[in-house]
Amino acid sequence: MSEMRSSRRRAALARAAVALYPPAWRARYGAELAALLEDSGGGIAAALSVAWRAIPAWIWPPRQLHDRDARMRASLGTLLVAGAMLTGIGLVFAQLTQLQGLRPPGHPIVGWSYAIFDAALAIAGLAAAAGGLPLWLLMLRRAKREHRARDAAYLLVPLAVPAGYWATLAVTVRLVGGPGGVSGAWFLVFTLAGFAAAGLACAGPILALRRLRPRGPAVRFAARAAGVAAGSLVLAIAASAVAAAGLCLWAPDFAGYHQAGVLAGYLGVTGVLAAMAAAGAVRGARAARAHAS
Amino acid sequence: MGAHVSNRLDRWADPPLLVLASLADEPKHGYAITRDVAETMGVRLSAGTLYAVISRLESQGLIEPVPASDRRRPYRITATGAEALARQSERMSGVASLAQARLGQRRGLAGA
Repeated sequence: MSEMRSSRRRAALARAAVALYPPAWRARYGAELAALLEDSGGGIAAALSVAWRAIPAWIWPPRQLHDRDARMRASLGTLLVAGAMLTGIGLVFAQLTQLQGLRPPGHPIVGWSYAIFDAALAIAGLAAAAGGLPLWLLMLRRAKREHRARDAAYLLVPLAVPAGYWATLAVTVRLVGGPGGVSGAWFLVFTLAGFAAAGLACAGPILALRRLRPRGPAVRFAARAAGVAAGSLVLAIAASAVAAAGLCLWAPDFAGYHQAGVLAGYLGVTGVLAAMAAAGAVRGARAARAHAS
Repeated sequence: MGAHVSNRLDRWADPPLLVLASLADEPKHGYAITRDVAETMGVRLSAGTLYAVISRLESQGLIEPVPASDRRRPYRITATGAEALARQSERMSGVASLAQARLGQRRGLAGA
C-alpha cells in the first residue's frame, strides 16, 4: 500500500518536473523523461535536477524542436504588450512635457530630444501598422472563412477597446474638466484606465495568434516590422529619458521634474519594458531570418 | 583531500561523451544509459542532465531515436556520432598515455 503511494508520488513529481519544460520539448521527450524518473525511483532531488534543466531548455531550445513560426508569434505577442505599454508611457510623457510647453530656454538638448521622440514614435507607429495590418487581415479573413466568430471578435478587440476608451474619455473630460483641464486625480484615473485598455486591446490579437496559429510570409514580415517598431520605440523612450533628465537638471521649477524619485521610477519602468521589447524583437527577427534562409 | 580532488576531476567527465560511449555498442533507452554509465564509467548522470544531453546530441545528428512502442524510446549512435566519438577517444587516449608515461618517470625518479 505504502509502495503504491510512493510510486504515485514519484509519478506526480515526475509529471510536475516535466511540466516546466517548453511544450515542444515536452511533446518530444516528456514521456521518456517521466518514464526514466519513475524507473530510477527518482525522488525530490531527481525531480529538482530535471526542473533546473528546464531553464536552458526554454532559453536554448534544441534546433530540431525549434518551431520558428511559434517563436515569431510569441515574439509578436511580447512586442505587442511591451509596445502598447511603451506607447502609453510615451503619450503620458508627451502630455506632461511637450504639450505643457516645457522647454527650458538655452538648453537645445531637450528640444532635440522632443524632436527625436516624435519622429521615433511616428516611425514605430508606421512600422507596426505596416507589419501588423497584413497579418491582421489574413487572420480576419481566415476567421471569417472558417466561421470562427470568437477569433474574429478577438481580432476586432484592438479597434473596439481604444474606440470605447477614447469615447468615454471625451465624454468624461467634458463632465469633470474645468477651464484648466482635469484635476491630477482624474488624470491619474484616465492614465490607469488607458493602460488597462491598452492591455485589453493587446489580449485580443494575442489570443487570436495562439488560436489561429498563422504561418508563412505574413508572420515573418510582421516579426521584422515589429523589430523595427520596437527599435524605434526604444529610441523614443531613450529620447524621452534624456528630455526628462534635462528638465530635471535645467528646469527644476517645472512641475514634477525636480523629483529624482519620479525620474528614477520612470527610467526603471521604461528600462524594463524596453529590455522586454528588445529581447522580443531580437528573438523574433532571428526566427524570421532563420526561417527565410 | 585526495578523494575530494578526485571527485572534482570526475566532474570534468563530459556527459555527451559518456552518452556516446554508452551507445557505441548497441541502442539503449534513458534508464539503460544511466545504469551503463554508472556501472562501467563510474559517473552518475541525473535524469535532467541525461535528457539535456540527449536533446543536444540529437539536434547535432550524433544520435537518433529508434522507433519504440512504449514510453522508453531507445537511441542509437549515428555514423557521424561514431566518428566524433572515435576522434575524441583518440585524443583522450593520447592524453592518458602521456599522463601514464610522465607519472612513470616521476615514480622512477622518486625511487632512484
